[in-house]
Amino acid sequence: MKILVVDDSRVMRQIVIRTLRQSGHAGHDIVEAENGRMAFDMITAEAPDLVLSDWNMPEMTGIDLLGALRGAGIGVPFGFVTSEGSPAMREQAEAAGASFLVAKPFTAETFDEVLTPLLGAAR
Amino acid sequence: MTVVAEPALGDLHTVVEEVWSTFLADGNPILPADGPSEDLHWTAAITVTGEWEAQISVILSEAAARGVGATMLAIDDEACSLADVRDALGELVNIVGGNVKSLMPGPSVLSLPLVGHGDITPTSDLTPVRRLDLAWRGEPVVVVVHVPSQGSSSTATAT
Repeated sequence: MKILVVDDSRVMRQIVIRTLRQSGHAGHDIVEAENGRMAFDMITAEAPDLVLSDWNMPEMTGIDLLGALRGAGIGVPFGFVTSEGSPAMREQAEAAGASFLVAKPFTAETFDEVLTPLLGAAR
Repeated sequence: MTVVAEPALGDLHTVVEEVWSTFLADGNPILPADGPSEDLHWTAAITVTGEWEAQISVILSEAAARGVGATMLAIDDEACSLADVRDALGELVNIVGGNVKSLMPGPSVLSLPLVGHGDITPTSDLTPVRRLDLAWRGEPVVVVVHVPSQGSSSTATAT
């Protein structure tokens, strides 16, 4: 499967990719984008199977990216990986069509819990 | 109406310890420092605006800043570039700030982080209400929460 990791921090993209591996979900094709606008273009061009996106980014936020995707009829599974995990933000994410919201800091176990239903059991 | 309140010191400490034990677990815990340090060279700051307004800053020594970048990237300290340090410190304060914001009344908005080699001084009428003096690898790490003393909006500039 192809997974798009979206975060304006290269450090955090590396941590997300490392945690994917540590959670047993290695071996997928990983592509990266550093903001929502870049991610939207990559999604339309490369059709990933899953998007893992930060919320708070320059150019286009994660929630605006999700809104743009759904508005364009693109239903790619979408999960937030963000520093804020308040009930209000979780509700907003779910209402916009997100499959899950993982709050930073996260563990490999948390990743496995939310990814297994989408990617299958860890290997 | 802006709420002028501050997070409990214990909650702030818990947030910082959780970040360190998850993303900066190199076998060295982050512990209370013996006292304030003057060996502080990097500042990462983020602001919260809305129902709760604040500036949250993480201030570190040169060695601690480089260690944060290297540990988050899983590389040697010597291989950690200036850009890596800036990126890592921005993400560090983003996570600490986001978690603190989640503890406070909302709705509020988190800014993008600002990272500087030096001090980042709030330009408006902000008062420090919480401060943690910590040590990691024997190096100082300070976390400060400023809130408006008269409900003024908060901005910050690198100096």
